[in-house]
Amino acid sequence: MAGHQLIDDYLAELARRLPANDVDELADGLEEAFQQYRQRGLPVTSAAAAATAEFGDPELITRAFVRQAPGRRAALGLLASGPVFAALWGASLISAQAWTWRVPFGASAVFGATLLVVAATLVVVALSPNYRRTRLAGPACGLLVLLDGAMLATVALAAPALSWPMALAIPASVVRIGFAARTVPRILAR
Amino acid sequence: MRPEAQALKGHLDVLLLAALAGGPQHGYAIKEALREGSGGRFDLPTGTVYPALHRLERAGLIAGSWSLVDGRRRRSYRLTDEGKRKLAGERANWREFARAVTGILERGPWPVTS
Repeated sequence: MAGHQLIDDYLAELARRLPANDVDELADGLEEAFQQYRQRGLPVTSAAAAATAEFGDPELITRAFVRQAPGRRAALGLLASGPVFAALWGASLISAQAWTWRVPFGASAVFGATLLVVAATLVVVALSPNYRRTRLAGPACGLLVLLDGAMLATVALAAPALSWPMALAIPASVVRIGFAARTVPRILAR
Repeated sequence: MRPEAQALKGHLDVLLLAALAGGPQHGYAIKEALREGSGGRFDLPTGTVYPALHRLERAGLIAGSWSLVDGRRRRSYRLTDEGKRKLAGERANWREFARAVTGILERGPWPVTS
């Protein structure tokens, strides 16, 4: 790198906010910009200042990266589709009189608590300006796969018959399992 | 937001694809190509170009790869076949749109109706 304190501080600020690969890519571009300003005859400090100014405020850059973060996009998608799933499964459970099923109370409580944790995590990810926090969507997606799987297993084992809302809810959950399972590695890879 | 940046909204993706039409480039070179190609009008905060490139990469329109240049890690991008098709389609749409707008803006005065 150029080794100028201004550039080093700027990159350190970005490194606190963004994944290492993104910082490496930005560092390469910043060096290109710095060298270009030097070739135009600017002194070292002015060239470093011009290069960092050209790249923009680290806060602005972070926001741009956060908007594109796979975790945030997954969280927004899952939150947007959440009410549809709630309606489908709500209708399924009511139509099948799920309160008469032989499901231990503890298991239901754990399911409900986990669902709340997942929803809260997705809301945090969707609203957070912090890139690292968007990776929380990875574990949340993992838990969602388990929750959907648990719901499908419960229906298979405890429901006396298939109702029409279940005929919609089950494939919807299968699709969500596929989406969430495919998304987790993408989120965690960043 | 500067008027130029506002005007870019909705067109940035295709402009980034066009900047790669001549062959693989790294992020800063792509940004410079946009600035120079627009006569300095499209001078984005450089740091915000990279997330847009990542979005295009996730969409399968460009592909990135790492190399080592002067001891630094550099990520360069090239158009994928899908990206080339997208660019060709967007170019055709743009020409058609521009022709229609030009036809209206550069036409003589409209006849007065009573």
